[in-house]
Amino acid sequence: MAAIIAVTVTLLFFPLVVWSLGRRSLGEAFLLGLGITGSVLFIAGVVHVPLVMAMILIAVWGVGSGVWELRRGIPRPHIHSPLATIVMIIPLVALTFAAAITPLNDFDGRAFWALKAKGIAHERSIDGPFFHGGTHDPRNQYPILIPLDGAVILSLAHSLDDRHLRWLYLGILAALALLVRERIGRLVSPAAGAWCAALLLWIPQFSVELEGGALSAYNDIAIAAFAAGAFFELLDAETRKSEVRFGLWLAFLVLTKSEGLPFALVFLAIGAFVFRKRIITPAVITFTATAALLAWRWRIPAGDEEDVFRLLPTIPEKLDRLGMAISAFPRHMLLMPRWGFFWIAVIVAAIVAARIDRRAWLAIAMIASILAMYTAVYVTTAWIPSELIAVTADRLLMHAIAPSLFLLAMAARASDR
Amino acid sequence: MSARWLTRIAAALLFVSLAASTLPRLIAIVNNARTLLPLPYEARRERQMGAWYASIEKLRRELPKKEQIALIAPPRDHDSAVFANYYLYPIRTRLFAGRNAYRNAAPDPTRPAIVVAVNASHAERTEYDVLRNRDLAAGRRIVTEPQLSAPMTAFILPLAASLDGPSPHTFLIEATLANPNAASAEVRVAFWPKGLTRTIVIPSRTTKMYYDFVYQLFGIMNAGWMRVDSSQPLRAAFYFANRGRGEATLMPNATGDATNIAPAPLHRDTKLFVINTKDARATAILNGESIPLDPHAFISRPIETLPAISGDVYAFVTTRELDGRTDFLWPQ
Repeated sequence: MAAIIAVTVTLLFFPLVVWSLGRRSLGEAFLLGLGITGSVLFIAGVVHVPLVMAMILIAVWGVGSGVWELRRGIPRPHIHSPLATIVMIIPLVALTFAAAITPLNDFDGRAFWALKAKGIAHERSIDGPFFHGGTHDPRNQYPILIPLDGAVILSLAHSLDDRHLRWLYLGILAALALLVRERIGRLVSPAAGAWCAALLLWIPQFSVELEGGALSAYNDIAIAAFAAGAFFELLDAETRKSEVRFGLWLAFLVLTKSEGLPFALVFLAIGAFVFRKRIITPAVITFTATAALLAWRWRIPAGDEEDVFRLLPTIPEKLDRLGMAISAFPRHMLLMPRWGFFWIAVIVAAIVAARIDRRAWLAIAMIASILAMYTAVYVTTAWIPSELIAVTADRLLMHAIAPSLFLLAMAARASDR
Repeated sequence: MSARWLTRIAAALLFVSLAASTLPRLIAIVNNARTLLPLPYEARRERQMGAWYASIEKLRRELPKKEQIALIAPPRDHDSAVFANYYLYPIRTRLFAGRNAYRNAAPDPTRPAIVVAVNASHAERTEYDVLRNRDLAAGRRIVTEPQLSAPMTAFILPLAASLDGPSPHTFLIEATLANPNAASAEVRVAFWPKGLTRTIVIPSRTTKMYYDFVYQLFGIMNAGWMRVDSSQPLRAAFYFANRGRGEATLMPNATGDATNIAPAPLHRDTKLFVINTKDARATAILNGESIPLDPHAFISRPIETLPAISGDVYAFVTTRELDGRTDFLWPQ
């Protein structure tokens, strides 16, 4: 019974929450729902509104707006590119089968993220004893948006068993693929969207990698998905309320992982050129999320996480690491078992696409900014840089997936002309 | 060849490069799931994580739900402790990187009393003493060639201890009992003031060695004195050892009351120890003050200078040199 509740909550609850903002595609609705639920619960927790009450309000709101929307009927989806769709579905079916049966077996997922989800679900609080040394929580101040979503599932399933969280993480990858399919389909061509989504699901680092893949409980696919949402809003800046959605995606980034904050700042800087005066709205939303995160962190003790901002002034004395840091991503991009020819194709596509479409420069700027930011982290880190690079570089590359796929789609379209 | 075909070939190559890595692993993942499918969920975890997870399941049933647990894991097995913490939740835990981290937290009133030892192969509920004994047994005695006494059938060991200070101080008695006789010796050891007794048998022409005499015989960590009575004359050597610092001092095998301590330099943490080795009450006279002692009493008090002491008791002094080494001043 708990398992059925968990699947139902994961697949229906999060998308329904978003329909209050207007009907969105399934992938986008799932991701926005995930982000809104987690963010609302987080801010409720920061201002000491009981989480159960906030959860009930979100549920009532979600079901209410869902029913309201359903009265308008369900649009019949038109499936473009059946071959690409089949190619996309094959790994999803296999991963669904595995997620239903195989227990969680990764490192960070169990050590940090799912543990937090259990802690929040058990205490119904984001600053209870769990976060005050009541139990061992190694990265106590890590942002908790996804654990909050996990806590919703565990709470409604009345179980702290991590088997109920398996659908959440797989769902994020599926939603990212659907978002890519729909947005690139709209911005470039339906076939390009379909094939980009299919490619995404066949990238080993996303689909089958034990540490960071869809069968783990890492948050890197979530970061990649929220970054994808923000990136597509930049490309779609002329659509109605795009700046609000852009702001929401950035807030989700901030509340999902520590690197989400600098990531969001990079997006805001680039977004300022795109949205111009309208950048105020996303800036306000992002800074509200940041303020909530800082307020929460201020109230709980630090774990053994690294404070990158505090380490930034140490860059001058660590410049000898620059070579290693700069070469980190190119070396990992060429790891065939994790990326195949993907990054080589992206570089070629960037060269082709940059010559024909200004939007390609936006994607290139995004990728370059993300990699530069993470390179700076590798220079400043207090960990042993080579060890940190070995365990994180591939996961950080995941964050740049949407602009990379967009470049591939643009280059493919250029050759069709 | 047109640009469109070139693009298609490039896309196909890209896809093949991804599928070449993903497909075999996807098949392996699905096959693994198929083999796990007939099992209950917990059994699947056991299959994935082996006996380690079975031991965690057992702990989850045994441990109190509302009390914080100390998870003690050697630093090399820190990850195992992190996962034990995960699977035991909502049982609350606190991690200690090794036994020394736990003992150094002794002054902390919030230190959990319930101990779980974790390593990469299993997790078990245990006691601190057991872990300590395991470590000591795995190590080596400090004294490899003990100076055995002349044969005796009865004597007193004025100080017997199995105690820990802050890391690395580990105090214990390294004992060697040799039976040079043609008959086996039955040795009765009484540990006072606890009043515990054990009888050990030392076969003819055999030597028994102990790395932590008090704990190995009585299974406790405590301090006191001992009376040893043997059915055969024994040659024995007892060293008061600080295993953590690799220091050992030969102790006298006393035979009666003695209080005449020769003057010697006193350093820091100096203590006077007085014991009543008799079954009746005794009186110690300390700088003119009478101190009554219960039968088998073992008392200590800090001193600054060597006091004048007399009475039907046994007295000795310990003092710590600046380098931390403990010196003993025994009565003449």
